Amino acid sequence: MSIPREAYQTLQSIVGTEWVSDDPAICEADRYCSLSSPSEEKRRPGCSIEPVSTEEVQAIVKVANRYKLPFVVTSTYYSAGTYCRKDDSILIDLKRMNKLEIDEENLYAIVEPGVVFSALQADLFKRGLCTFVPGCGGHASVVANTVNMGDAPLGWRYGLGYQRLLGVEWVLPDGEMLKMGSLSMSKDYFWGEGPGPDLRGLLRGCAGHQSRMGIITKIGVKVFPFVSEELEPEGWAFRSFIKLPPNRFKWYNIRFYSREDAINAMFELGRCEIALVVMTVPPIFRGVARTRGVGCGGFWEFWKDAGPKLNPKQMDLRVLLYGIGSDKRLEYEEKVLLDIVKEYGGSPREAPCRDETNFMAADAICANVVGGRFSSEVSYESINQAVRYSKVVDKITDEHRPPILQEYNSTDWVCPYELGYIAKMECLRMASVEDNYALQEWKNDCQDACAKGGAYALVPDNKVFGPIWGNYPEKEDKIRAAFDPNHVSAPG
Amino acid sequence: MLKVEEYKHQAATCVRCSYCKFPDLNYIKSSRFSRQCPIDTRYRFNLYSAHGLLHSALAELDGKLEFTPKLMDALWHCTLCGGCDIRCKRNLDVEVLQVIETLRCRCVEQGKGPMPEHKMLADNVKKSHNIYGADHKERLNWMPEDVKPAQKADILYFVGDPSSYRHPEIAQATARLLSQAGVPFMVLADEWSSGHELFATGQLELAREMADHNIKAIKDSGAKKVITSDAECYKTLKADYPKILEKSTEDMPYSVLHITEYVDQLMKDGKLKFRRRVPMKVTYHDPCNLGRLAEPWYHWEPKYEPPNIAVGKTWRRGYNGVYEPPRNILKGIRGIELIEMQRVWDNAWCCGYGGGVGTAFPDFALWTAGERAEEARTTGAEAIVSCCPNCKDILGQAAEAKKTGMKVYDITEIMLRAIR
Ligand SMILES: Cc1cc2nc3c(=O)[nH]c(=O)nc-3n(C[C@H](O)[C@H](O)[C@H](O)COP(=O)(O)OP(=O)(O)OC[C@H]3O[C@@H](n4cnc5c(N)ncnc54)[C@H](O)[C@@H]3O)c2cc1C
Repeated sequence: MSIPREAYQTLQSIVGTEWVSDDPAICEADRYCSLSSPSEEKRRPGCSIEPVSTEEVQAIVKVANRYKLPFVVTSTYYSAGTYCRKDDSILIDLKRMNKLEIDEENLYAIVEPGVVFSALQADLFKRGLCTFVPGCGGHASVVANTVNMGDAPLGWRYGLGYQRLLGVEWVLPDGEMLKMGSLSMSKDYFWGEGPGPDLRGLLRGCAGHQSRMGIITKIGVKVFPFVSEELEPEGWAFRSFIKLPPNRFKWYNIRFYSREDAINAMFELGRCEIALVVMTVPPIFRGVARTRGVGCGGFWEFWKDAGPKLNPKQMDLRVLLYGIGSDKRLEYEEKVLLDIVKEYGGSPREAPCRDETNFMAADAICANVVGGRFSSEVSYESINQAVRYSKVVDKITDEHRPPILQEYNSTDWVCPYELGYIAKMECLRMASVEDNYALQEWKNDCQDACAKGGAYALVPDNKVFGPIWGNYPEKEDKIRAAFDPNHVSAPG
Repeated sequence: MLKVEEYKHQAATCVRCSYCKFPDLNYIKSSRFSRQCPIDTRYRFNLYSAHGLLHSALAELDGKLEFTPKLMDALWHCTLCGGCDIRCKRNLDVEVLQVIETLRCRCVEQGKGPMPEHKMLADNVKKSHNIYGADHKERLNWMPEDVKPAQKADILYFVGDPSSYRHPEIAQATARLLSQAGVPFMVLADEWSSGHELFATGQLELAREMADHNIKAIKDSGAKKVITSDAECYKTLKADYPKILEKSTEDMPYSVLHITEYVDQLMKDGKLKFRRRVPMKVTYHDPCNLGRLAEPWYHWEPKYEPPNIAVGKTWRRGYNGVYEPPRNILKGIRGIELIEMQRVWDNAWCCGYGGGVGTAFPDFALWTAGERAEEARTTGAEAIVSCCPNCKDILGQAAEAKKTGMKVYDITEIMLRAIR
């Protein structure tokens, strides 16, 4: 099977022969990317294409519809949970669409899908503005991440990425163009609301629509005022960071001697509306961070000794204070924090005034080094429910050990957003490269438990969650059918 | 070349996170200069990237993929600059560059590669011991009359093909510099090509012949230190020779220094002072072969313990290259104002010449160098200074093509002006 000659030639005429290829090597390299389940079959695309403009994207989608060819879209292809599940798919790679405009006065940026967070951030910093890099890394696409979930520790104060979505330029699965928010009325991207119902909900969601609702070619994304000082980088490779101005920022690591105390302290911090980042620090993260640069062996040498000594009752919080607007605000926040810590019997320790993984970089992938593969079970819940679910996952993990490696029931990652309104709980588990399937089996069991426990899973398994959550996949299919009559947008 | 098991293990460990395409994210200073990989930046398809090539390596090994025209194109357009390799070693410890090099070797073994232009280099080397096919007897023609190399000395200057034949001004500046600093040095009477491009293009048999000859010649010379002004030669003597001999750098019968390391040490010891002012605003380009690729080589026989512990391995992470000495020198010359580009040290953007690209794909090499010239222009400097004849060559062409009005110098030329 292959893409019909006529269709391929039309694609060539749209983007030029240089930017479309059905060479097996080009297509093989686009077979899948990092977040793909090992058990699912990933097909080699029939061709890969690199449009440079919205008009080209629209024309490609129309060709896909005319010839009933499935298409899958990627922006940076870091974690396309989407990949080609059907033969003769067109893989639409949007890396060449990388225009970026910043409206300093009105605090938003207009980005195309090829723009990554670190690049946007660098341009924003120069203007005393900022955005927030998601946990996966600054090399993820702003568009792909924002129309998915977009969670980052800085969401404690500023919420999740999808809430920053403003005007949207959207090529629907049938090739029609839809402009949303203020963009539908003028050429402005400044506001997410517009006439008629707000259709952003069709795009956003815990794990987004995974390419099944057409292609976003441009979005407006809200940005925030920030310090005007230049944030100089320092350090090498895995030890690099940017220096934060000490008159405006302060990091605290705080040890609590019971999980309840830590949870209560988090709620209290939210109630007092202070801090930019509040999250727990699983000891295993610290282990990974401490042993970076010495390879897997160095980590296990450290961890085999440190792991068993962990006190599972303890919980460490990491808090970044930010004097929004003034030094005085930082002083105030510090006083409030230390009061709260005292109330709950925590031990605070000031940490260096710098940032490794929140503003420019983030290194989720580095966790792989300790085993070869890691997977995480993620749920979104209230803070205390998140911690409860993490204990459930601990139990399930024990049943899968080995091959799942020892993390010594180290406490999990609880990362609350919106001043504690919602919390992400991420349980990180490791296995060697060869034991990839073990993680999948572990994850399946966790999803069952998550569904039974009523937690809200990231990337829920439709078969497990569908019946519990009001048969949402059927409703989703109906919506999709209305937008995608030829069933070409990432089917399967 | 990696053995099959290790090759497979390394390629399979890649999770295709795409970090290989970027500089250290904390060091990105603007969206304009936010990428690291020349082939990715220019050609955009994922095949044209480290993770694309690693995935292809696996597919080719498993018999799912052949060396198609596009795979050949991507593989041989890679400048082997090593940006991907050290970026991955921030997070995942995959030997990215070794996999790409091995894929090249497999391509050569199967008779599909290298490019015809690379084969010509090999023909030239066989014929006349240099990649240009120039007369071997003329190898030392660059030697200025005012410089008299010693018959016997502790220091041996290894010149390399480019400075011997194409950029004699660099060899001359180096020789004059040493001589004016009162450092007795010798040159090999029968220096052969370092074999740098032969290593890069997977023509290992001939590369090894070069290594054997040069190592013996160095040993026979009795030199205590080998100095070179060519970043490619430096990396080849320091890392490629031990690698092909399955040894570590420390086990080689010589030690090698780049001229900037040597001069920096002389300055620190108070044995050399730059007395003349050189009034110039300059920016410095880190050659890949002097920076992230110039770390000592550590031989390692693959041995793993679960879950993925590489027993006894010493990692090369890119920060043990030569970054400070050239900067110390430039800062030590009165009148020089050094203004850094956005991507520097281990994050430097490649000049585009390496990996055999300058030879087989001059247009792409020039495009890559053009990106660097644009970056250099934004500093407001009048000149780009580098430490490698091929960097000087291609950056010079690019600076002109981009009408930057900037001059391009090798650091030896600047040092000579300051010492005279
Ligand atoms: C190790 C790891 C850790 C992670 N941690 C986090 C985290 O902390 N926070 C977080 O928010 N996310 C996290 N993620 C998931 C996250 O969504 C992605 O990593 C990233 O944001 C996706 O962007 P990308 O640039 O990789 O896009 P891609 O991989 O290109 O695409 C991602 C998805 O969006 C679709 N898509 C891409 N572009 C478009 C477009 N223009 N229009 C319509 N659909 C499109 C794709 O088809 C795919 O389904 C993590 C992923 C990994 C692998």
